[in-house]
Amino acid sequence: MAACHEINEDPKLYQKSNKILLMGNPNVGKSVFFSNLTGIRVVSSNYAGTTVSYTEGTMKLGNETYTLIDVPGTYSLEATSKAEEVAVRFINSNPAAIICVLDATNLERNIKLGLDIQRYNIPVVYALNMVDVAKRRGYDINLRLLARELGAPVIPTIAVKNEGIDKLTEELQKILNSSKTTCGNCASCPGCAKLGMNTWDRAREIAARVRIKTEGKPSFLDRLGNSMLKPWPGIPIALLTIIVSLGVIIGAGKFLQEYILGPLVGDVLVPFFKMIISYIVSEGILHNVLIGEYGIFTIGLEWIIESILPFVFLFYVVFSFLEDSGILPRLSVLFDSIMRKMGVQGGSMITILLGYGCAVPAIIGSRTATTKKERLMISAIVCFAVPCISQTGALISLFAGFSPILLVLMFLLSFAVMMIVSSVLSRIIKGKVDPMIIEIPNLLMPNGKAYAKKLMLRMKNFFLDAEVPMLISIVIAALLKETGLLEKIAVYLEPIVSGWLGLPRSAVIALILGIIRREMAVAPLLEIEGLTALQAFVGGTVALLYLPCLSVFGILSKEFNTKTALAISLATTLNALLVGGLINQLAHLFM
Amino acid sequence: MKMKNPVQGVKSLYYAKDNQKYIIADTPDIGVLKSLGIVKNAIVFKKMTHKLGGPVLLMVESSQIAIGKDIAEKILVRG
Repeated sequence: MAACHEINEDPKLYQKSNKILLMGNPNVGKSVFFSNLTGIRVVSSNYAGTTVSYTEGTMKLGNETYTLIDVPGTYSLEATSKAEEVAVRFINSNPAAIICVLDATNLERNIKLGLDIQRYNIPVVYALNMVDVAKRRGYDINLRLLARELGAPVIPTIAVKNEGIDKLTEELQKILNSSKTTCGNCASCPGCAKLGMNTWDRAREIAARVRIKTEGKPSFLDRLGNSMLKPWPGIPIALLTIIVSLGVIIGAGKFLQEYILGPLVGDVLVPFFKMIISYIVSEGILHNVLIGEYGIFTIGLEWIIESILPFVFLFYVVFSFLEDSGILPRLSVLFDSIMRKMGVQGGSMITILLGYGCAVPAIIGSRTATTKKERLMISAIVCFAVPCISQTGALISLFAGFSPILLVLMFLLSFAVMMIVSSVLSRIIKGKVDPMIIEIPNLLMPNGKAYAKKLMLRMKNFFLDAEVPMLISIVIAALLKETGLLEKIAVYLEPIVSGWLGLPRSAVIALILGIIRREMAVAPLLEIEGLTALQAFVGGTVALLYLPCLSVFGILSKEFNTKTALAISLATTLNALLVGGLINQLAHLFM
Repeated sequence: MKMKNPVQGVKSLYYAKDNQKYIIADTPDIGVLKSLGIVKNAIVFKKMTHKLGGPVLLMVESSQIAIGKDIAEKILVRG
């Protein structure tokens, strides 16, 4: 399989030969080109500048093998942002050629980028993407004239429908085989003749000349995309989108759990492993660690496959769709005023929503925040009040035995904590938060291939990043239980667990395992017989607000520093025990 | 060039009327604004202002851009 990995800083890459750069504005469909040209997995996003890191892949052209680099989306090469700095560094690292994707619906800005690239004298081929959208908006583009102005071939494409990509590779091969650079003859080249002009003015002038007005016909999606930006009917549509998304995740997740994965685990997998292991391993600690009460093959399969996997999978199905279709940036516009009152800005909403999947990508994603204060606020909000999807899955399973009202209350509680935490933090953290500036991409049906690849990559990451610590925590649980250590620790923690929180003594294991994985602060509660609704709710509250898992601690220390990671961990833990205990004590006072 | 009063007719984008074309007179020095084509002399179409301190919605060519209140207040337009 071809190599594909995300790299942050890799000096080796600058020395690599046969590099082809894939460049263009954010949201222009670059990632779709990338996944089509390289045929390997790639994460593509529809909102401005999510990835400061870049992706590379192998691309075959004739007999030659090239490395295609998906350069972070840039509007210009003026190094006004981190992404643009990275792009400039790439362009200066001796690439063989550039594929520059231009947005046909935004000619001025894209021609400006083309003119910026022209100055570097590197062979380039332009893909004029979204020509269909431009046509619907009422204009055609004179391709020959544009190609002459840019001094390089311009191929019309519709990436989401895979149209024009073959032609693009053909042209690419041609320019790679001809030794001439794009701008050899300055006398006849219109580019050089007007170099004295301001690039913006020139871009505007070229755009005006190549654009041909026609009869526009906005599609249903165009009209829907526009109405989703107005409070009416935007806000009702947004709320409906959120409710439908939750409904799909929870409803379909429960269906998978009850009718497919549950029977698979309970009737097939567990009995199968029990039979085999009983056959090989004789009774004893190892036997119990493998298939005992907290055994890897009993509880491990149940927790991972039955309780958590269906919800993780469906979360990414829904989130990737919202992302690629361009719905998320519309939500940020609508909710900007609320986010502003929380001390952040609308654009951060996307990052926080990502946290409902997993806190780790959300904390990495907070890099797009323009100030340190905003980054810190987003990360803290995610750690304090946003349950990850694995944990939500475990909570859904926990409350299934009681009432769905508990789940609603839990979400309301998490919003309340979010509001309080953000307003406190916005006062105590020094610095400022920059207001929102975002471009809203066209509303569109995601490209099936790119969408499927993104989903696959996300599931793969989940298995690699999450399942290993989960298995480790299950082994620890089994060992603690089987060696009797759990009972000893329980004695020390009893005043907190039983006295203050009112939970059964065996819930201690949840607090210990919750350090490793968030859902593990919930999952052991599923095993406790005779848990009351109040105990389930208190246990759920503590788990929800509890210290983020080990991976989150790791990413916090990496992205900020150990001090910040420790501070957040300590504060969340205290907050969890405080809120959980208060709920328990108050409930007892009134009930 | 004739210039009676350079300030004449210049107003803040945030408070300018909706559904109208404007020419950018001055913007704060922010890289992203420049990159998005919100530069001096660019023609923009202001679609709407979201209530309760929400953003301004602009069309620059055919791309839609949302700009938070605090920056939109500092962008000056003529038109």
